[in-house]
Amino acid sequence: MAKRTLLLLIAVLLGVSAAAEERDATALVRDAVNHWRGLASDTVMTMVIHRPDWERTMTMRAWTKGDDRSLVRVLEPKKDRGNGTLTDDNSMWSYSPKVNRVIKIPSSMMGQSWMGSDFSNKDVARADDIVKLYEHSILSVEEIDGVTIYEIESVPHEDAAVVWGREVISIRDDHVVTEHRFYDQDGELVKTLTSLEIGEMGGRVIAQRQRMSKVESPEKWTEIQVVSVDYDIELGDGLFTLANLRNPRE
Amino acid sequence: MIRILMQLAWRNLWRNHRRTLIMLLAITLGTWAMIFMTALMRGMVSQMVADGISALPGHVQAHHPDYRDDPSIANLIGVSDAELTDRFGAAGFQGFSTRVRVPAVITSEYDSRGITLLGIDPEREQGLTFVDHDKIEGRFLESVDDNGVVIGRKLATTLNTEVGKRIVLMSQDPDNEIADRGFRVVGLFEANVKAFEEQYVFAGKQTTQQMLRIGDQVSELFVLGDDYRDVEAAYSKTVALINDGAVVKRWTELDAYLGTMLNVMDGFVFVWIVVIFLALSFGLVNTLVMAVFERVREIGLMLALGMRPINILGQIILESLLLLAIGLALGSALAWAAVQPIKDGIDVSIVGEGMDMWGMSSVLYPELLLSDVILANVVVLVLGFLASLSPAWRAAHYEPIEAITKV
Amino acid sequence: MNLVFRLAWRNLWRQPRRTWLTTGAMVFSNTLLVFMISLQFGMYGLMIDNTLQAFTGHLQIQVPGYIDDQKMRQTVADIVPLAETMRSEFPDQNIAARATGFALVSSEDRSYGIAVFGVEPDYEPSVSTVPGLLSEGRFLGDNDAAEIIIGAALARNLKVGLGDELTMLGSGKDGSFAAAVVNIVGIFDSGISDFDRSITEIPLGLFQDVFYMNGSGHHIVFNNGGIDGVAELESQVEALLPSDQELVVHDWDALQPGLQQAIKADMSSAFFMYGILVILVAFSVLNTQLMSVLERTHEFGIVMALGLTPGRLGRLVVLETAIMGLLGLLLGAALGGLVTSYLTINGFAYPGMEELAAKFNLPSRFYPEVSPISLIAGPLVVFLFTVLAALYPALRLHRLHPVEAMRAV
Repeated sequence: MAKRTLLLLIAVLLGVSAAAEERDATALVRDAVNHWRGLASDTVMTMVIHRPDWERTMTMRAWTKGDDRSLVRVLEPKKDRGNGTLTDDNSMWSYSPKVNRVIKIPSSMMGQSWMGSDFSNKDVARADDIVKLYEHSILSVEEIDGVTIYEIESVPHEDAAVVWGREVISIRDDHVVTEHRFYDQDGELVKTLTSLEIGEMGGRVIAQRQRMSKVESPEKWTEIQVVSVDYDIELGDGLFTLANLRNPRE
Repeated sequence: MIRILMQLAWRNLWRNHRRTLIMLLAITLGTWAMIFMTALMRGMVSQMVADGISALPGHVQAHHPDYRDDPSIANLIGVSDAELTDRFGAAGFQGFSTRVRVPAVITSEYDSRGITLLGIDPEREQGLTFVDHDKIEGRFLESVDDNGVVIGRKLATTLNTEVGKRIVLMSQDPDNEIADRGFRVVGLFEANVKAFEEQYVFAGKQTTQQMLRIGDQVSELFVLGDDYRDVEAAYSKTVALINDGAVVKRWTELDAYLGTMLNVMDGFVFVWIVVIFLALSFGLVNTLVMAVFERVREIGLMLALGMRPINILGQIILESLLLLAIGLALGSALAWAAVQPIKDGIDVSIVGEGMDMWGMSSVLYPELLLSDVILANVVVLVLGFLASLSPAWRAAHYEPIEAITKV
Repeated sequence: MNLVFRLAWRNLWRQPRRTWLTTGAMVFSNTLLVFMISLQFGMYGLMIDNTLQAFTGHLQIQVPGYIDDQKMRQTVADIVPLAETMRSEFPDQNIAARATGFALVSSEDRSYGIAVFGVEPDYEPSVSTVPGLLSEGRFLGDNDAAEIIIGAALARNLKVGLGDELTMLGSGKDGSFAAAVVNIVGIFDSGISDFDRSITEIPLGLFQDVFYMNGSGHHIVFNNGGIDGVAELESQVEALLPSDQELVVHDWDALQPGLQQAIKADMSSAFFMYGILVILVAFSVLNTQLMSVLERTHEFGIVMALGLTPGRLGRLVVLETAIMGLLGLLLGAALGGLVTSYLTINGFAYPGMEELAAKFNLPSRFYPEVSPISLIAGPLVVFLFTVLAALYPALRLHRLHPVEAMRAV
């Protein structure tokens, strides 16, 4: 009798801890995303697009609110100033002051590169898909220099609109993502987003400099460097409208 | 009398067997060329038409009035599956189905391509389209709510993907919102026309409708009648059954080029046969004239002895017809024999891209039609008859005395 | 020799009907061949010209790799001055510079991703038929004006008309935001929807500005007027390419590989048919000559007994055939030339041609031209084969025994 109860207890515990582990993995990812976006955020960043024979630098300001909404506006260089993209859920609009028009990006263009970088329009619009469309589990836990790093494997759901076989995200216990690796369906690593500098900004420890590049062409990459960031500020809903995309109030 | 004439004709033929044999060889070769070439050409055109019809697909199609100009999600027709079964099921078509057909983008880990997404009913479409079910790697779709996609082999290579892997299809719903989801590649298809392998992606109709949030609407309806050469019956039936608003068109209207190709081919076959015959006719007439000339004295004697001129005429004509008949028989048989080994198609992929331009596949299949063989034989016999009239006529009208004494 | 010739000639006319019939076969086939080959080559020429003159041109200067990758960054520097230099070097050529990009073109209601071509308004009409296909409006004028021309099918899909505005959004050469608003000044209609939907043209100056090209472009097009002399032109252009850039010259076959193959495919089947025709004619001749030899067995026997060698006799037979062949060649070529010339003036159309024309960018009435090759090629082959055919009876003469021969009737 006691033996049976014990076995039952162990089974339940295992089940619970497995579930707990899964919840933990998903929670870890969720927390990392929340940490990066905050409830709302206002970031100024520089993006460097590097190729073997040229390099381009842009300075942008990005606002995010919740999971779905974001507005990005280009500050520098001068010829691109005022260009912007607005994302609301899955839709993306683009604005250019040169033509004074707001255009909705059709599905056929969502795969095109965002502002010429190694990120696609889809990457930018669907930043929070990582939580919803995948099954997460913890691969390993490591301690490096007093910091705990969880390596989490994220496998997309069967009919998720994700091409990757799996993704592996390395998240620190302070919710900073150190590396995000994308694997194809044969298990080959295709591209990596690496955090090159981690430090405190806007009251949080965040990845200050990140680089996205493909494994097969290391001399082509895009880097994002955070210049300044404000978290959990009050951002009005009116900021994330097409009207505002066209006529900036700030 | 005929029997005697036949005997005479036959023996006369073989009196100068070398001459007869050479003529026979020429006729055989000519006939062979007529029929063989025709079989190849017919095969080419039939293939083209069949490919075209299987690509449309169907003999008759119905769409939203604006669809042909703007084949997008904005122009759909409402023909639910229930309606389809009720109304079209009893109409006696060889096949019918509806499809969703919209532009979409397919993405793998490595690349993306603009393609045409086909949401189909695999059970209804079995055998109606260009998909060769014997050449599918993996499996084809099994039902309208199948969760997999089947893509062309060439596309799979371009995308660096394969059976068992997931790809993402992205398109737009009627509100212009992004509609996308992941699908597993369950099969790869091969098509005669390579461009199809890169262009078309098959998914279950219901799955597609759900992804695109269009309820039970579809892009097109197609039906297959009994004979692609005559689609009037299928056309009128479809017009009667489809709800108002949709525009119905025959395949000859949907692809005008193909439609005329068939007719052009028929004309061409006839012309080709006549041309070959004309080339042969000179030699034929020559042969007859000479044969008659050699036998002037003999013919004169027969006339003097009382044979009626008409029988002389008949004899000469029979000679000619016999020669032709043998040549035709041999030539036809040879042509048939030549077609057999290439029945499975000749691979002309060296000029594959060129064939693509003409709209043809890179494998040629000969098509030997009995009607063509009969046409060739009949034309040759008739024209041969006409050609031999002149020498025969002259022979029949020799003055017996002059003829007998001819040196 | 003169004697042999006279003998041959006389022998031919001993049996005028036979000679005429045999010659007739040759004339018939030669006429047909001249006519068909003129038609065929004319059609090919037209197909090539129409396809190339539509847009591709006969030669293009590009950077290496552009022909396969078509990347925005694969640019030809200082393209307008380079095109100008080429024009002064080759004053007989039609030359224009272009740049290509991909942009999201939007009207009020719709957007489409589409290829945008920056073209030189003054020179583009001479290298492409698109400016000539305008069904509404006018072609581009000012090199810097914010104007665009689009195809009729695209105009329908975008739900716009002449005078409407379109927004273009794309990526510049350096990846930056490229955007412009342009006015539709012209709509072209080629009759082929796919073509209409896939090309839009704006002035090159505007393109270079909007897409941050910095004076560069993607290719320089040469329109040679026809494909004759393109190979020579290619080497000449290659020699004159500036050495400060890596550039290559591609001919139309490299630019449109399917075209040459399509022609090859068609030619093979045509040649097969011509071959059959030639062989049949050769058979006729063989038969005739054989018969003529056989019926002169007696005569030949006497002549050989008198000392004429079989070789000389054989040459006589061959000469007879050659004369007939020559007659057939001349008459056939003349007749074929006449028929074709008639069509050169009046045009040629057969049922089904209209649809073929629509599909391949051909005119629906076709004016074949006689060229030296089309006039001679076919008849020459027939001539050769008929002379060959005469060899058999000629060689048989060697087996002739004079005494036996003389006994023949």
